Amino acid sequence: MEQAHGSWLDFLYLIKLGPFQVGSLHLPRFRLLPHWLPDAIPLSVLVALLLALISYLGLRRRERIPSGLQNALEMAVEGLEGLSRNLLGERGSTFAPFLGTLFLYILLMNLLGLIPGFKSPTTNLNVTLGLALIVFVAVQYYGIKENGGLGYLKHFTGDIWWLVPLILPVHVIGELVRPVSLALRLFGNVTGEETVIAVLVAISPVVFSHYLHGVLVGLPIPVAVPMMALAIFTGVVQALVFTLLAAAYLAGIMEHA
Amino acid sequence: MLYLFGLVLGTGFAVSVAAFAGALGQARAVASAAEAIARQPEATGNIRTLLIIGLAFIESLTIYTLIIALFILGPRLPSTEAVMKLLAR
Repeated sequence: MEQAHGSWLDFLYLIKLGPFQVGSLHLPRFRLLPHWLPDAIPLSVLVALLLALISYLGLRRRERIPSGLQNALEMAVEGLEGLSRNLLGERGSTFAPFLGTLFLYILLMNLLGLIPGFKSPTTNLNVTLGLALIVFVAVQYYGIKENGGLGYLKHFTGDIWWLVPLILPVHVIGELVRPVSLALRLFGNVTGEETVIAVLVAISPVVFSHYLHGVLVGLPIPVAVPMMALAIFTGVVQALVFTLLAAAYLAGIMEHA
Repeated sequence: MLYLFGLVLGTGFAVSVAAFAGALGQARAVASAAEAIARQPEATGNIRTLLIIGLAFIESLTIYTLIIALFILGPRLPSTEAVMKLLAR
């Protein structure tokens, strides 16, 4: 399938490296990124590097009384830790890095698509499915770690022993469908917003159109701007919902411990 | 031509019904959340969290329909020239 590349990071697909010769290993001239790589991947790497850069810049001088970027970062961390502690009780502090990273990463990925020339990596179903699978594996791992193997299995059966053949498949299917619903929710919301913005940009009326040296130019009316404001709101809400649901699933499977 | 007509009609109705049903469910959720907060304002934080999670669950069902509609319509829409040729007959 032809991958359509359309972002500022397209130049990465044109960079060719080599040929290299390391001892007896001969590497021919190759491309840095293969052409079939969807541009969600370099864009998500860009988001991760951006987060790392902001964190590094905010922590260069650690003052006791923070100000500026360090203050903003501390507010964000406190907010996220408060959220984790709200949903998971006192041991929420151990999950705060995971949930906080999830929230900030998804938030930045959603908002990246609103900058002209970039595309949200979350419009790629593989990205959202990867995140949902990470949450799924984390939930199962912490479930087994906190409850033990037998307790983890008893979580799916419920308490009434003669209803087990009925309850067990329902719980197992419910557990398996959670990463699918997480992935589809995030993907569908962000893709829907992006599609609406793209359609509005495509059909926005152009006033004062005239021919300038054979080229048709004019002033476009920005009808997509209110939709972009809504897309900011949707991006924030969907990141929050993903994180809240991950925390709720974690709380649900650890409630027996 | 009939194929395209049936396709668009079907997905149009599907998304509309899903949006209507989703909006109905979410309206009930928000109404009961508002009532609960009015009855006990000190539980606002818990109620707000529960409301957001509940709305996300209901919303996701509507989004599933949208995704199916995108999958059905996405690669099957004809180009403008083909539609013009169809309409010119």
